[in-house]
Amino acid sequence: MTATAARVVAESAGVTRRFGTFTAVSDVSMRVAEGEIVGLIGANGAGKTTLIRILLGLLAPTAGSVSLFEQIPSRNTRQRLGYVPQSLGLYTDLTVTENLRFTARAFGSSVPAALSDELSAVKDRLVGEIGLGLQRQLAFVAALAHSPELLVLDEPTSGVDPLARSRLWDTIHEQADRGVGVLVTTHYMQEADQCDRLVIMVAGRVAAAGTVSEIIGGRTAVQVDTEAWDEAFHALTEAQLPVLLAGRCVRVPDASVDDVERALARAGVSAHVTAVPSTLEETLITLGRA
Amino acid sequence: MWAMVMKEFQELRRDRRTMAMLIALPLLLLVVFGYAANFNVSSIPTNTYGPQAQKVADGLKDPFDVRTVDPGGSRNDAETAVRDNKVDVAIVSQSSGKPTALIDGSSLFAAQSAVSAFAMSGGQVETDVLYNPELKTSWVMVPALAGLILTFIGVIVTSLGLVRERQEGTLEQLAVMPFRPFDVIGGKIAPYFVFAAVDMVLVTVLGVILFDVPFNGSVVVFALGSLLFLLVLVGLGGLISSLSQNAGQAIQLALFVMLPSIMFSGMIFPLAAMPWTIRWIGYVMPLTYFINIAQGVMLRGAPFTALWLSFLVLAVYAVVVFTAAVLRLRRDLAPNVKAQPRQDVAAKTAVAA
Amino acid sequence: MSFGLSEVSVRFGATTALDHITFAAPRGSVSAVVGGDGAGKTTLLGCLTGAIEPDSGRVERPAKRLLGVMPSTSGTWRDLTVDENIDFVARAYGITGEDLRAKRGRLVAKAGLDRARDRLARQLSGGMRQKLGFVLALLHGPTLLVLDEPTTGVDPVSRVELWGMISEAAAAGAAVAMATTYLDEAERATTVLVLDSGQALASGTAGEVIGSLPGTISVVDRPADPRRAWRRGRVYHEWHPGGDSTSAQIDSDVDLEDTVIAQMLRRREHAST
Repeated sequence: MTATAARVVAESAGVTRRFGTFTAVSDVSMRVAEGEIVGLIGANGAGKTTLIRILLGLLAPTAGSVSLFEQIPSRNTRQRLGYVPQSLGLYTDLTVTENLRFTARAFGSSVPAALSDELSAVKDRLVGEIGLGLQRQLAFVAALAHSPELLVLDEPTSGVDPLARSRLWDTIHEQADRGVGVLVTTHYMQEADQCDRLVIMVAGRVAAAGTVSEIIGGRTAVQVDTEAWDEAFHALTEAQLPVLLAGRCVRVPDASVDDVERALARAGVSAHVTAVPSTLEETLITLGRA
Repeated sequence: MWAMVMKEFQELRRDRRTMAMLIALPLLLLVVFGYAANFNVSSIPTNTYGPQAQKVADGLKDPFDVRTVDPGGSRNDAETAVRDNKVDVAIVSQSSGKPTALIDGSSLFAAQSAVSAFAMSGGQVETDVLYNPELKTSWVMVPALAGLILTFIGVIVTSLGLVRERQEGTLEQLAVMPFRPFDVIGGKIAPYFVFAAVDMVLVTVLGVILFDVPFNGSVVVFALGSLLFLLVLVGLGGLISSLSQNAGQAIQLALFVMLPSIMFSGMIFPLAAMPWTIRWIGYVMPLTYFINIAQGVMLRGAPFTALWLSFLVLAVYAVVVFTAAVLRLRRDLAPNVKAQPRQDVAAKTAVAA
Repeated sequence: MSFGLSEVSVRFGATTALDHITFAAPRGSVSAVVGGDGAGKTTLLGCLTGAIEPDSGRVERPAKRLLGVMPSTSGTWRDLTVDENIDFVARAYGITGEDLRAKRGRLVAKAGLDRARDRLARQLSGGMRQKLGFVLALLHGPTLLVLDEPTTGVDPVSRVELWGMISEAAAAGAAVAMATTYLDEAERATTVLVLDSGQALASGTAGEVIGSLPGTISVVDRPADPRRAWRRGRVYHEWHPGGDSTSAQIDSDVDLEDTVIAQMLRRREHAST
């Protein structure tokens, strides 16, 4: 990973975007430097997609400024960036090879010579027929073909099996190691863990930013160990506390040990209640409820 | 830009429905215009009545095609024959004096041909144009237009109905709810039927008011014919939507079905002027039969007994189309061994959208 | 009475979508089936609901009226409001009057949709739409709930809320069969079935599946064999089929994802030999 001298490949400064009376993005400042992986986390509707579109130059901000490679986003900057939207941006009625040729022609690059074994096996099949995992692989290859300096990935692994997901992230890390800046959105906690830094958006604003441990801070969750996990779960839900089940283990983010003990006592459930460090997911829940 | 051109060609190559439209349609139109576009009716069905019937018949040449010679027939018989669309011209003769040709004004082009033929014969025969004495095009077109407008609305709008469920992914939901396939189709089609019926009334009333088109026959017969025709249209819409995966395909199929309707229903080019090799297409179009009913009732005041064949054809059409639509939909809704193995991927990735 | 599949196989032409799969969904628990796209999850759920007839094997399912389904596309009608969606489903199942009002009130509040009742389904955020779809599936009190990837693409907060609703339904006595790609959710279920290309890789409780790990996992900074390693956070996990690695690196905290990936790798390696 790079030190403070790293070049910034994408940056937003105080960006706000309103649609009529609705404020989609509010005063968001963030940056992606070369060689780092920044994870953009938040609910759908939190403003992630709008922010990405502004960064890409597809949408103008109502206030604030945006820069790509230290310039205003334009047709020139498009040449240096690779974007994989949520819907993949592939033509399902063309074959794998035809899709790659189209992208190559559009960017003035060449079709990658070496495809993975799995992709080579289906290079003459229609994209609509090859399955989601391979489609996501293909979308990556297409986005990387012109050697971009910035990769923007919107939910690149949604719906794919764990092995394929980890392989896609191998590619992401490879690119970051080579100096490409990566901005990625994800709903998988385990993937958020792999990012160098996270930007957490709630209702259009940045609720938290930094490394995973910085974001978790010193937050704790309450862990409930008991045989009667079923009843404990109900008692806590009745008390309007957010409850997570991890195996037989009941965890309550965003509550104090006292609150939990009281709720359990009211339902007559006996349990061993302790405060433990929060996980990233639990921190997100706390931030979301704020 | 070259990249875009290549890509569009490649995608087009695989889209068979659009390719069919791009290649087959112009060819079809050319053939049709070549043969069907003909305002000259080459053969006018004619009967002769009265004492001089045979003499008159012998004196008639092309384009008149004498069907029946009835020396004992009266003017009443002649009028009935024309009203019931058995012939386009019925010539009534007395023992002496000029015979009178009763001409069906609702068969516009035949009537025009007949009138000019008689005029050229130097006034040997009196002409009396029934039902549309001034041979106004609007009087003939309005009933036909009512049918055409409804064909557009009924088929396109209905066909989009089911396609929406398929695109939204809610068709699976319907499959496990306590609905029978008939419930689903019927429920989907009913609102459009109601709207189409209201439209039908509006168009007819406006046509009558604005263009002074007469309404000489029974409203009940007209209403019945209209409802039956609408049933066929919405049923066709339902069938098209059960055959289409998305709105684009549905509209393409609907256009495919409607274009022949316009060309071959007799509203623009008279069926009688077409050679049999393509005239049969007109007899397959439901619109042809509706036009017969509409013009028959509005202009000729024809009774149900004269139009029963058209009613029958429309009824059969409705049954066939609905049955086909229900069967096709049942395949999508009921236990199905050959279900689609690959889920629509776009639907999956759109979950987060 | 348990619902489920027993030695079910389904073939589509030359492809085997399910190969002798047994999956039980007993009442009162959440039974998860995990796997990537194309693994056979949707086919399995399709057999459970009756949309797909298996080529062999047996399926136990309740009467159609006692079945609740939530497809992967949320199963909501986009051009109707939240209330209208509920009205439609209620009407279809004959739920009216006081009964409907009580059910609607309770479920809408639980789903956090009470302030969005007049909003069109297509204007809801992804998470809220999924919650509405769940309410619609649950409205008529089914004994078997079949959920196809109810939380895919949904934000973490809504996911947890959905999970709350799902486990509550199970606790109330329904059998819940759920397909998911999120292994953390699968770990919370009572039982898990891991599918890969139609084959069962492992099944049982989360603990049993984790215990079925073939070999060991080590946590390293740089893997010896990249084909058997994958990233987890800042480090790599590497799989050793024979358990041949220095004990210092062995991961004692093996979770479901480790086991699933290891099983998939083993299957791929066997297939290519």
